[in-house]
Formats: sequence, C-alpha cells, structure tokens
Amino acid sequence: MLRFLGLVVLGATVGGVAALFAAGFVRGVLWLNEILLISPRSRMMFAWPEWLTLTTVIVPALGGLIVGHLHQLLPERRPHTPTDAIAAVQTRRGRLPLKAGAVSAFTALLSLGAGASVGQYGPLVHLGASLGSLGARVLRLSRSDDNITIACGVAAAIATAFNAPLAGIVFAHEVVLRHYALRAFAPVAAAALVGHVIATQALAQGALFHVAETVVPQAWEFALFVAIGGLGALLAGGYMHAILGVGRFARQLPLRPALQPALAGALLGVAALWVPDILGMGQETLRFATIAGAFGSGELLLVLGLKVAATALCLGMGFSGGVFSPALVVGMLFGALCGTLTASLTGISQETFVFYAVCGMVAVTAPVIGAPLTSLLIVFELTGNYALTTAALASVTLASPIAAQLFGRSLFDIQLRERGLDLSSGRDQALLMDTRVSDYLTQECVSLSPGASLDEAIVGIARQHHAEAYLVDDRGHFHGCVTLADLEAARQEESPPRQARECLDMTRPILSPDTTLWAAMALLEKVSGEALAVVDDGVFCGVVYEVTIAHAYLDQSDTLRREEHGHG
Amino acid sequence: MDRPTAALLAALVSLWVLMASGPLVSAEPLRVLSWGGAYERAQREALFTPFTEQSGIEIEVARYAGGLDELRRAVTTGESPWDVIDMTRSEAMAACDEGLLQPLPPGLPVPAPDGTSAERDFIPGAIGACALTHTLFATVVAYRLDAFPGRRPSRIADLFDQQRFPGPRALQRTPAVNLEWALLASGVPRQELYRLLSTPRGLNLAFERLNKLDTIHWWEEGEAPVELLAHGQVVMASGYNGRFFDAMVQRGAPIEILWDGQVQEHETWVVPRHARHTQTARDFIRFATSTERLAALARRIPYGPARESAAVRVGRHPVSGVDMRLHIPTHPLNAEHAITKDEAWYARTLTRINDYFAAWLEARGDTFPAPAGPSAAASEDSAGDTSRHPTPDDPMTP
Repeated sequence: MLRFLGLVVLGATVGGVAALFAAGFVRGVLWLNEILLISPRSRMMFAWPEWLTLTTVIVPALGGLIVGHLHQLLPERRPHTPTDAIAAVQTRRGRLPLKAGAVSAFTALLSLGAGASVGQYGPLVHLGASLGSLGARVLRLSRSDDNITIACGVAAAIATAFNAPLAGIVFAHEVVLRHYALRAFAPVAAAALVGHVIATQALAQGALFHVAETVVPQAWEFALFVAIGGLGALLAGGYMHAILGVGRFARQLPLRPALQPALAGALLGVAALWVPDILGMGQETLRFATIAGAFGSGELLLVLGLKVAATALCLGMGFSGGVFSPALVVGMLFGALCGTLTASLTGISQETFVFYAVCGMVAVTAPVIGAPLTSLLIVFELTGNYALTTAALASVTLASPIAAQLFGRSLFDIQLRERGLDLSSGRDQALLMDTRVSDYLTQECVSLSPGASLDEAIVGIARQHHAEAYLVDDRGHFHGCVTLADLEAARQEESPPRQARECLDMTRPILSPDTTLWAAMALLEKVSGEALAVVDDGVFCGVVYEVTIAHAYLDQSDTLRREEHGHG
Repeated sequence: MDRPTAALLAALVSLWVLMASGPLVSAEPLRVLSWGGAYERAQREALFTPFTEQSGIEIEVARYAGGLDELRRAVTTGESPWDVIDMTRSEAMAACDEGLLQPLPPGLPVPAPDGTSAERDFIPGAIGACALTHTLFATVVAYRLDAFPGRRPSRIADLFDQQRFPGPRALQRTPAVNLEWALLASGVPRQELYRLLSTPRGLNLAFERLNKLDTIHWWEEGEAPVELLAHGQVVMASGYNGRFFDAMVQRGAPIEILWDGQVQEHETWVVPRHARHTQTARDFIRFATSTERLAALARRIPYGPARESAAVRVGRHPVSGVDMRLHIPTHPLNAEHAITKDEAWYARTLTRINDYFAAWLEARGDTFPAPAGPSAAASEDSAGDTSRHPTPDDPMTP
C-alpha cells in the first residue's frame, strides 16, 4: 500500500517536472519563432520586410545544418521519438537514454524554432518519457515501475501541451502502455493532473482551437462524417508513407546525413515564399481551415499537398520533430475541403463547416498516432463541445480500423516493424521476440568428443543422469546431438556403429545465440527432446533446455499479467 | 506624517524660498495636455481642482486629439509647452522609443490604501518605462434601441449581420478595431486576432467581411458616431464607451452599448522631454494615480481605473446617481469578451495596415469624408486645440 502511494507521489513529481519542461519547450518554440521571423506576427512587425525573402530561406536551412550536425552525436544518428519510448515500454527494456532524450529535445526545439514543418507534441512526449525513465533510474525502481513513470511523463507532457488532462491519461494508456491497469492509472492520472495545473498557471496560451459553435449538424451529415473518416484514413496512410518514403530515399541520397536537414530546410523556405502556410507548426493555417471561405477549394488542395510534402521532406531528411501537429493541419485542411465541396454540391449553409474540418482532423490524426480515443478527447477537452465530439466519433469510427487494416496501427508501429519489432500481435509476442536465447544459455550438459565410442557415450550420458549429449570436437566445433535412446538402439544392432557420431539425431534443430525466444518456442512445437544446442558460427556455446524456455515464457506472461492486471 | 501636514510644510517651505530668493519656480502653473470635452470636465473635478487645493499649484489645460507631431516639434526646439500629457499607450510606446518622453522613476505610483504595492495593485503592463496607465477606455458598438423590434444584437457578429439587423452602420475610419471585429465575426477567437491579421489571408478575410456591409458611414471625430446614432442616421455605430454613456445616461438618447468584442486600450500619463516642471509633473502623476483619485475619476466618466483597489471603490455618479461600475469597460460583466488591443503590433505595422485600408476604401469607393493624407498637412493648423481632426496615424480619441 505504502509502496503504491509512493508510486503515485512519484508520478505526480515526474508529472510536475515533465510539465515544467513541456511548458518551457512550448514557450521556447514561440520565442524562437518570434526572433527568427517564422511566426506571421513577427514577420508582419519586422521593420525591413524586403529582407524576409532571405530569412525565410536561410533560417530553416541554417536550423537544419545545426540539427543535422547535432544528430551525429547520437549512436543511431537520428533523433529519438515517441517510437523509442513505445519500444522501451513494450519490450520492458525500460530505461531511455538520457543523452538521446536531451539531444533530441534540443534539436526538436531548434527544428520547430527554425520553422521546419514538424510537430511539437512528439518531442514533448519523448521528453516526458525520458524524464520519467530518469526518475525511475535515480530511484532504482523495477522495470514495471519504470514503465509507469515513463507513462507519467508522457501523460503530463500531453496534459500540459494541450491543456487536456484526460487526453494525456488516455494517450499514455492507448499509445505507450497499451494496457489498462489500476496500478498504472493512479500515478498517470496524478501526473496528468499536475501537468494540467501547471499548464493553466505557466502557459497562459490559448487552446489549440476554440470552437464556439452552437449549431447541431443534420442527421444525414453524420453519414458524411463517417465517409470523411474512411477517406481520411487513406490520406493518413499517404501521409505516413510519404514520410517513410522520403526517409528511404534520403538514405540513398549522395549527401552526408548531417547536411540533409539543411537541404530540406532550404527547399522548405523556397516553397514557403509562395505558400507561407506550410512553414512551422501551422497554427494560423489550422485556424483558417475552420473558417468557411478563408481558402478556396483549389487553395485547400494546394496547401494540403504542399504540407504533406513539406512534412515528409523535413522528417524524412532528418529534422527532429513530431508527426502530430502537421497531421492536425493536413486533416483540418482535408476536412475543410470536404466541407467546401459538400456546400457547393448540396448548397447547404456553411454553419456546420467547422464540423467537417474537425472530422477531417481526427480522421487523419487518429490513424497516424494510433489513438482514436485520445483524438476524440482532445476535441472534447479543447472545445467542450459535445456535438462536435460526436461528429468526430462518427469520423474516427471508420478511420482507425481502415487505416489499421491497410497500413498498421500507427506510424510508430510501422517504424518499429521496419526496425524488426512487430507489435501487431500484442505485447507478449513482442517481448518473446525481443528476448534472445543466449540469456538462457547453460553449459551444464554432456558434451562428448565426436570420436567417442558407443559405450563411452552411453556411460557418459547415463552417469550424469541426462538423456542426450552434444558432440563437440577439440576446437569447439559442434557436430550434432545424440540421444541415449538412439545409442542404445544402435548398440543392439547386428553391426553396431563404432563411434557416437554415426548415431546423430538429424531432426534436431540448432539455435544461434541471436535466436529469439519466440522462434525457439516455435521450434519446440516440432521436436521433442531435452534441450536445443546453441551454436555460433559452428562453435558450440551451450544448450537451452526446453524446460527453461517454457519457464521463461511462463515467467514473462506472469510478469505481464501482474503488471497489467495487478492493482497495487 | 499625513498628507495635509506634508502639504502645509511644503507650502511653508515654498513661502520661505519665495521670500529668500525672489520669483518662485513652483508658483508657475502646471501645464497639462488632455483631450477636452466631458473627459476634461471629469478630470477637472476629480484631479485638477483637488491637486490645486492640495498643493497650491494651478493647472492649465491644453487640448489635443492625439498624435505625436506637435510633441516631436516641441522636443526639437528644446522647449516643451506642456509638463504632463494624457496619452494613449500605443503612442506613448512609440514616443518613448523615439526619446520624446522622460523615463518615469521607479516607485512613482503610491501604494494602495491597504498597503498593497503599486506593482501588484496596477493591472499588468500598466507601469511602463515612460508611461503610467491610469485608465482603460474601450471602443464599443452601440445600437438604437428602437431599430430592431423584438431582438437585440448580442454578439459582435451581429454588427455584420444586416439580414437580422438591417440598417446603416457607422464605423471609425481606421483599420484598427474594424479588422478585429471582422475576424471575430468570422469565428476567430480573440486571442488569435493579431496572429491571423498578420497574414494576407487574415487581412483578406477581414476586408471581405467588411465588404459585405452595404452602407458604412465613416466617422473620425469621437462625437460623430453618438450624433449619427442619436439622430437615427445609423442603427449601429462604433465609438468610445464614455461618449455613448454620456449620451445614454446624461442626455437620455435611446441607445445601448453592446459590450461583446469591446476593444480595450490603455490611457497613460507621460512627462515630455524638456518639460519645465518635471518634479511637479511627477508629483501630479503620483497624486492623479492614487487609488482615491482614480476612483473619483471613474465616478464621473466610465473609464476603467488601472488599479484593483480603485476599481472596487467606483460607486455612483456624484450628480446623476447612476451606478458607474456597470458602465466601465473593465467590469466583469462587460469585459467577458473584451479584446486587448495589441499596441506593440499596431506601433510597428500601422503604416502598412493603413495603406491596405486606404486601398480597400478606394476600391470600395468609400473615400468620404477626406482622403487618407499624410498627417503633417492636417496638423499644420492644429497646435493643441480641439478643432483638429485625427488623421489615420493617430486615430485614438477617447
């Protein structure tokens, strides 16, 4: 009980620290946008407008140059994102490296400040997660508790940045923890609450979108909202694959990775000379997209396409930042396009225009981050408008499953799959796939020289109360496995073989140290025996007993069950 | 030592100085530049007369309608004709940047009667380097009560809704306030107005909204919208809340203020460079921004006092007995949807925004009553009198 309460207090503390960092980050981005002439207000107030053409190209390019070089400090040479936090929690590896967290947060601050078309919520989530992990490491907590503090940091970051505590709690559960346990709920809730309180005190900024509509859409419009969800899922898929595609393309580009963000920044700046809406997080664009008549349909299509391209360019070529804010803009523009088309086709008044924009927004964002409930809650907490939330629900109902079927649960999951971690079959499989048999290796087995005689082999095995032996020569090379039963049977033959190596059990598979527990389990379904030999490049390393594998599986399941179903 | 004793002592010291050293410097009157009309009357009752009674120093009042040209000229001659100026904060900010004003010493305003420090008692941003905000005035929309039978405008969007609220409108011939209202009517939250007005898209959206109004009477003189409304030439008009109050309450005009979307601005006291009586000017500012004096002013004209302690002391009008609290812009019921004018933004962008506005007016064919010419020509004949019309460069006349 005391321990549990301690965890709640720790959650609140992590939440407080993460919220302060998040608030500082948000303010830092705004400040940079002001002094670097990215925000429209600073551009308007700049005394020498004729210089703006130059700064628009140079600022993102220089920002990219610094960001690209800073990323060379990290072992992976890429910024860390929420994807890394999810992987750490899902594979129970916990511990997020502090250096990567700090560098990634700083480069994200620079990227956003210099006007790259990236999001700010991803870096905030990863920053919160890193701080949570740091808290657990300082206090030497267990892996399960580490996961909870990571979730606390994430929840607090979202709660602060959006000023939406419920969305923060649900996001931590839906995207990071991916299970619901009372044990985790209380600390996460405490963290989100602290984040919310700090947000209202420290960040007096307006919410992301105020909507003060009192109209209610007509019944038939809900059918359109569902359809927008379906189409939005396809757009979300296009958006995700554009980011991944540019990433793949960039790897083949004959340009040093450290210089690639600078190129992306320069291209972005040149494009922004004609369409300034694509610069930065695009909060003004977000607002305009909710206003009927602010864009023509052609303009909507143009800005939408360019925003997707700009985001793919910036993220694919190595700027640090999230995918959520650009997805918000893309989704809003898409919804606005649907609203404009509907109005011109049916001739209805544009009173419900904002409903279309918001439906488009959730239809694109929910699949990208794999969090339909969070998206809904963000709409609800930011607008306090129930009618709008039900419309968003209609849209997300179709968007999330379609995108999950076609593309994957989220961009994070697709990225992890590309890195070899498949979360699509649940966490237990991911865990087993992430554990290597080398962790369960033992030398306690009977090893014989390949030249041993049958009698020697039989006696050797029986003396040690085993049923099989592994033939290893003087140089440590593995020759195969013999079982007591086979040896006995061979001895009863009319012309028994002279050496043990002639009785090898050919059906027995061998493992490499890198074989995952998941693969080993699959092999066990086909063979029966005592243990499987682990061989590294022909050299015998030891064996893994089948009982050990079974135990490991049961252990893992048991820990997960306790983590996911325990309440204190 | 309480204040009357201090004043007595000061008077005795002055008397001694007078006898010892000939002509007395502080016997000269303090020269104040203010806005005239009902506002000056209220200031005279609440500030000027009590100051003279307390200090023995006469106050001489000159009138202007905003603008910095006179001050610029005065500063270049090395001789300011005024010691204290009542100035809008956006102009005060610009004047301070240009070095036309004297910095105010820290700790100038007195604490609240309950001991709360001035820094905590004044509203945020009131205490500037060269300017001390004393009141907040608002530009609001007012409408004729008899114009729309069975309904009343309740949101600023109704200003642009000529289907539900038919009839001509009167608007100030400036981009300021009109652009804000046009975006507000498009559903932009007031926190985002200036960010969006900074984009061509936002400006276009605002001008498109203004374009949908079929008849606009453009006004420049602060009294004009009140007259247009009172005589029924328009059914809705923008204007200063103090003047509408005056017409409503003192003259019984059938009009009502729509507080939604009111645009609040700071009105400040400043001391110009080369003022002859700097110390007396500071003494006057200290006196005029005390809790008691601010409350006394707000009891006579409904502008919001810049101090919390004064806001809670605003009571009834000394003559008509009207509860003034309900009429000041900062009253919570009135201020719920108030826009705080981004004065820094205007200070930097006014020329460009004015150009857009002039171009739009021309495209619309609404160049009445006068072309938006440079302010120098207009101010030639207007050294400190009320006859001068404000030019687009100095549009704020509370």
